[in-house]
Amino acid sequence: MLVYVIPILFVVLVGILLLILKQVPEKSAMLTGIGIGMTFIIGLTFTMLIPSFNENWSQNTAKDASRYHAIYLRSDVEKADKDGTTPPLYKGDTNVEFGKLVGYTAQQERGRRVYQREGCMYCHSQQIRPLKGEIARYSIGTSVVPVADEREYIWDQPHFLGTRRIGPDLSREGGKYSDDWHYSHFYYPRQMVNGSIMPAFTWLFDDTDKNIPVPKQDARDLVSYVQTLGFYRQVYDQSLNGGKGGWRPWLKPQDQQYTQNVGESQVLRIDPNINGGKGAQIRGGDKLSPTNKVIPGGTL
Amino acid sequence: MAVQQIMRMQPAAETEKLQHEDLAAKWALWSGVGYIVFFGVLGLLASIKFLIPDLFNGVNYLSWPRIRPVHVQGMIFGWALPVFMAMFYYMVPRLCGTKLWNEKLGIATTLVWSTGVALMVLGVLNPMDTTNPLWSTKGKEYEEWPIVSSGFLMAAWIMLTVNIWSTFVRRTYKQMYVALWYIMGCLMWTSFVYVIGNWPSQLFPANSFMGLNDANVNWFYGHSVVGLIATPAALATAYYFLPKSANAPLYSHKLSLIGFWTLGSIYIWNGAHHMIYGPIPYWLQTVATIFSFLLFVPVLSAVTNFFGTIRGEWHQLRSNVPLKFIVAGTVFYLLVSTQGSFQALRSLNAVTHFTDWVIGHSHMAMFGFVTFFAFAGCYYAVPRMYKRPLYSEGMADWHFWLSFIGFILFSTALWIGGFNQGMEWNNPNLTFISTVNDMKPFWHVRAGGAALMVIGLFIFAWNLFKTATASTPTVGSDGGDGIDALDIPSRTPSSLLSRV
Repeated sequence: MLVYVIPILFVVLVGILLLILKQVPEKSAMLTGIGIGMTFIIGLTFTMLIPSFNENWSQNTAKDASRYHAIYLRSDVEKADKDGTTPPLYKGDTNVEFGKLVGYTAQQERGRRVYQREGCMYCHSQQIRPLKGEIARYSIGTSVVPVADEREYIWDQPHFLGTRRIGPDLSREGGKYSDDWHYSHFYYPRQMVNGSIMPAFTWLFDDTDKNIPVPKQDARDLVSYVQTLGFYRQVYDQSLNGGKGGWRPWLKPQDQQYTQNVGESQVLRIDPNINGGKGAQIRGGDKLSPTNKVIPGGTL
Repeated sequence: MAVQQIMRMQPAAETEKLQHEDLAAKWALWSGVGYIVFFGVLGLLASIKFLIPDLFNGVNYLSWPRIRPVHVQGMIFGWALPVFMAMFYYMVPRLCGTKLWNEKLGIATTLVWSTGVALMVLGVLNPMDTTNPLWSTKGKEYEEWPIVSSGFLMAAWIMLTVNIWSTFVRRTYKQMYVALWYIMGCLMWTSFVYVIGNWPSQLFPANSFMGLNDANVNWFYGHSVVGLIATPAALATAYYFLPKSANAPLYSHKLSLIGFWTLGSIYIWNGAHHMIYGPIPYWLQTVATIFSFLLFVPVLSAVTNFFGTIRGEWHQLRSNVPLKFIVAGTVFYLLVSTQGSFQALRSLNAVTHFTDWVIGHSHMAMFGFVTFFAFAGCYYAVPRMYKRPLYSEGMADWHFWLSFIGFILFSTALWIGGFNQGMEWNNPNLTFISTVNDMKPFWHVRAGGAALMVIGLFIFAWNLFKTATASTPTVGSDGGDGIDALDIPSRTPSSLLSRV
């Protein structure tokens, strides 16, 4: 779109300037202005527009897009939002009519808005660079982290690539920890990670009862978005299908289990069955027991 | 040709009196001075929050990620641009030998602009916790501006451009001094850069402007904000106030024009070096690296020109406050550009990218270079706008040394700490949190440096305020470029012509 609009705007602008020029006695100032504009536009065309023809940068041309990100039909997402269900993943050809596909469900899209409002991208990047140290840092167990690919980002508006890592990179965060871990961490990060300097996002929680703050809708949306980060990224594995090769999620189930366990052991819960039936705060606890309550604001 | 010879050759006609009201300049100046104190305190608060993350816990509009973009945007659009507008209103009539086209339009420009900045503060701090794109941040670095505030800024910029350009075409001096070129460049480039950076994602259907297209435009804009908005404005200020305050002609007019055109054509290509090793195409990163190195051409031409101009005038540094700021700013300009070019190299970028090194670098650009030139302009122009001597030279000296030492502490701590952190990240045996803990001593030094800088800002604002409101009688009259009040002998544009 911009490819056509900018040259047209430019021609119109030059035309207006030339018309003004006819009536101005002192022409050199105007000519200088036109020169400045021309220099600028030539540079602009090359830096901004030419890279945009890259075929992996737009939804309707990206190859294998569903290997890099979740894709939904827009109609499915809208219907699921009304019913309160989860829309099915779209597995077909991405080369369908423009605008029919989206990368996020309605709740995840709302979560992106919360992420944007709270400024998470000022401290957390969302790109793994192809560097040895970086791959080693973000790999888990035997799951080697895949580096950032342009097709992962075609669903993002705005982009959250980031330029600063006051906290770690988040592009492979989805699925590593449970929702409970994230709620506890958002409410008071220092109870989960000793020495963390992340702000406590207490306004995302209803903490009228100081002991058991309840996540508000904003927190639920935010966590639902964070859980998608890199979660649908697949890698090509030659050892699959008896040596024929195939695609699998980048995070292997046993490695995901490992990080989930580490995370669960940090979560604070009230276990009603100990302390002689009075209940007490413990780290970890039985996630599956419905009577165990997460305490995002606990103090152990 | 010796300075005295040139001065003797000045035709008497050029020194005819022109009474400049400087009303527009005064309004823009106070808007900028007010905002730098406010945004400086916000910046200090941000640096303290690194040490005490629980400070103001639970107050959503004072959380670190909300005050950080307000500090950055406020310093660029709330302080730098209004104060450079004031400098434009001061310089352009004097260099054109005519009055400013419309003083009232200038006052209106400042009012509209500062309203836009105030709305940005409200929208990005966001105490109402809204996600409505009309009022909340756009979520991209440097282009946070909520849509409502962008409208105010664009309207004000059009008003400024009309005002200044109308003054240009009514000029009586034929010779266009290089500061005027840079001002014209700043006016044109800002309009393009601001519109491109802030509007496509709103104007065009969301699907055509997503992911890396968005990121590429974002960084084209982000780099151009510094390179094509702040830099030409700062260089215009220095090109005018350096010869004026040193009382020496410009070293070379031709060299300055080489610098001007190369700045315009090279800076635009640099945006992609913010995503070296990122998911953008490899060739685009290489182009950005090459053009980052080509930036030495405009930088060295400006720096050579400045040092050539004060050749033989170094003794003035002892007593001349504006000159102190300009010389320190020139050194920082050379350093920050050299650093910037080398940071674009893949091998160095692999270590320093994402670390605090970059924060030290960007502060050297916006504080050490741009803001120092603006301080120099203020110390030179404000006494002449109000036709009174500066309230206190001693306070100005204190301001200089607090800013200088504070900044050196600030950025050196971040460079050493940031480089160390980058090296530690390459060692997967260290947990991420241990690399954060290793940064904490450096963050203490940084906050100390920031405190010195903010104390300097208060002294600066107080000094200017007392200068403007002092009851001392006005000194002489500040006429056209030829007749300056106070101790600086008359200069005309022809006397600003080059030595070589």
